[in-house]
Amino acid sequence: MKRRLTRMLAGAMALLAAPVLALDVVATSPSMGALVRAVAPDAQLTVLAGPDRDLHSLQAKPSMIRALRGADLLVAVGAELEMGWLPAASASAANARILPGREGYFEAAAQVPLLDVGGPADRAMGDVHPAGNPHVDLDPVRMAQVAEALGARMARLDAANAARYRANAERFGAAVGQRLPQWQAELANAPGAVLYHRDAVYLLDRFGVPLLGTLEPVPGVPPSGRDLRALAGKLGGREGVIIHAPYQSPKGPRKLGQALGWPVETLPLSPPEDADGDGYLRHIDRWVSALGKA
Amino acid sequence: MNQSLTRGALLGALLTPATAVTADDADIDALRAELAAMRSQYESRIQALESRLHDTEQAAEAARRAANADALSLPMTAPRVLRSQGQASAQVPAGSRSAGLFDAVTAGAAFNPQISVILDGNYYQDDTKDGNGAALVGEAFQAGGGHGHDHGHDHGGGDDGHDHGGHAHAVAENGFNFREAEISFSATVDPYFDAATYISIDGDGNVELEEAYFQTRSLPYGLRVKGGKFLSGFGYANSQHPHQWDFVDQNLPYLNLLGFHGLQDTGVQVTWLPELPIYTLLGAEALQGNQEVFGATLDATEQAELNLGDTDSGPRLFTAFAKIAPEIGRNHALQLGISYAHATQQQAVQEHTHAVHEHDHEHEAEHGAEHAHADEHAHAEHHDDVHDHGDGITEELHRAGLAGDADLWGIDLVYKYDAPGADGRGDITVQTEYLRSSKDLTVRSSAHPERIGSNRTFTTDGLYAQATYGFLPKWKAGLRYDVLGLTNKVSGGRSDSFGSSERWTADVTWSLSEFSQLRAQYAYNDILIGEDDHGEARERFSAFYLQFLMSLGSHGAHEF
Repeated sequence: MKRRLTRMLAGAMALLAAPVLALDVVATSPSMGALVRAVAPDAQLTVLAGPDRDLHSLQAKPSMIRALRGADLLVAVGAELEMGWLPAASASAANARILPGREGYFEAAAQVPLLDVGGPADRAMGDVHPAGNPHVDLDPVRMAQVAEALGARMARLDAANAARYRANAERFGAAVGQRLPQWQAELANAPGAVLYHRDAVYLLDRFGVPLLGTLEPVPGVPPSGRDLRALAGKLGGREGVIIHAPYQSPKGPRKLGQALGWPVETLPLSPPEDADGDGYLRHIDRWVSALGKA
Repeated sequence: MNQSLTRGALLGALLTPATAVTADDADIDALRAELAAMRSQYESRIQALESRLHDTEQAAEAARRAANADALSLPMTAPRVLRSQGQASAQVPAGSRSAGLFDAVTAGAAFNPQISVILDGNYYQDDTKDGNGAALVGEAFQAGGGHGHDHGHDHGGGDDGHDHGGHAHAVAENGFNFREAEISFSATVDPYFDAATYISIDGDGNVELEEAYFQTRSLPYGLRVKGGKFLSGFGYANSQHPHQWDFVDQNLPYLNLLGFHGLQDTGVQVTWLPELPIYTLLGAEALQGNQEVFGATLDATEQAELNLGDTDSGPRLFTAFAKIAPEIGRNHALQLGISYAHATQQQAVQEHTHAVHEHDHEHEAEHGAEHAHADEHAHAEHHDDVHDHGDGITEELHRAGLAGDADLWGIDLVYKYDAPGADGRGDITVQTEYLRSSKDLTVRSSAHPERIGSNRTFTTDGLYAQATYGFLPKWKAGLRYDVLGLTNKVSGGRSDSFGSSERWTADVTWSLSEFSQLRAQYAYNDILIGEDDHGEARERFSAFYLQFLMSLGSHGAHEF
């Protein structure tokens, strides 16, 4: 009886104290937000961009700076994806804890091996990033690794809840592991996909789905009519699916889809902004079923 | 039990934030055991996951190899896996990835500063008689005169036909112009400072240090200190470099009340970002006061000639500003700012000419009223006071020296909408500012001795309002209205009020990529160039620009 009362009391206190103790976390994208929710469901979370906006072309806004001002941890996709606005916003936030190189700055891309690394640093090839393709968040296995690293980082920042963060990260990893065979089975014979930008290559690479081409001839340059005709000529007679993000112009994908008779899917790179770990897995489900559609 | 309950409650209440769970040792042990069990369980699951992963990867690799055999299935650029899961620890990744705990991936070389070069050139055409419309918009008539003759701040040019009092900014002439190559370096110095340098080279090769400053990184309480030469945080447009403007040229109030460079000075800035539910930034600056217009002082020769006294030791320019940005949704941003600047020393020279017919010298009495001619620049080279026109008319140049201090107020409002459309389609920006400059001066020297000691307060204000809209992916249209001299008056020992200058500007900007922009701009200008007893002198003209902006090097920051 006595113990139960003490526990209840402690629980009540913990609830009351939670807002004070919870980590103040800022995530740049909803997929990073989903990861934060998976690892630290109690964290006070601000997500800076919605899934319908291009994370590469945002502008630093006062509201971002305000959110970063008091943050304990900034979770970014990284590898220069947010470089147009995040350094400006985090420098203006006057919060040394979340600056790159500090404990409070976490970059998902720095935790996992990257694709598309190297290559010429020549912008005749478009908006290239020789450090590697930053869009790691569509690979569930890499995200499981990122979650583990995030759990370790949160454990450092908030030692009192260290065990919980680690356990949550492991639980997320296990959930990914559980879904993996099903996704593999679904995509075993997927004929391949045409993307608008090389933003889903990690997912394709993970499941061995061939990337049949990208609509933009080089990163950051929209396709011309001639590009589309060339692509259609190359891919004629094959099967596949065309996938583009909501902020990418639908005109090119539609044209190519008509020319090839392929389905065209509009899919955000990130899950809905209120997604947690399960929401992220459902988001991968959507991508997998779109890729398997062809 | 009662006692222990009270004890527990007390303890709990006392220790709430620190240790919410004050369980006994048995509980802790149980938890530990539970955790250990969980850990081993998950470790085995992770191992299973990893081995499954390994299998998948091999399958994927095989599939890719098979796919690659067929040329058609080749991706445009094959995804290259530099590090496969198995070798992850063995290989060094490309790019610079710090070896420390809190990694970041960047393409920048480890210790080199970020370097970027912006090229800014244009083709310009206006329909003024002399083709000097681009200079005229910066010399709109103000009650107190515009630019001081700060010969100490020489831009080195002087042969471009638009020399005014030693300034030779890259003002567009009809035809091709290269405005500037702006070279910038920025880097983190150490854990305590960031630093940046912006150097501008104009088409004639004149080099100017636009900004060179350090800024703190790790001060507590939301404080930041900036020191060096920098663009003041006054207003909104002031801290933007020309290539960041939505239009080719600067708006009329900034150009005429603050000068070509705006408030760009050497000094110290402190800003404070308190931790509040809405964005609030407070800032203050102490600056040397080496200004061209607001807070300008004259050179030593003129100071002696006009009995103005020496330039005070600095700092002579102080500013304070506040910005507030309410939360209006993630894709919208609204910022309201108010700014104030005070120049402890302001000097001005007023010049006017008397056309005197030799046979009716008494006619001069008619010109007893002090004229504030805007054509002071045109007369800057007239160092002798009397000119004989050779036709029996003598022109006398009267110069009056004034000294005092000056105040400047500014209000700014900026709204931006980030639309879901591709490449800026549907994006909206609205930006407006109001500036009011008031110079409180005393006549220190004059050809009319009775005026010495008399007070003159010159007040000129201005306003611009501009909006842009992304009407197609990568295409943006802009419209601007700017006006100078809604109030344009002198009060004190003399009272007079003058007209205003205004302009309508429309432009279209095509951003081919993030790194290149082409812009076409048309403006209709109605510029007041002088006003006296005989009426207003105005220049009404059209001006057309074609501009290119090229950005080389590292990604520019999309500052708000």
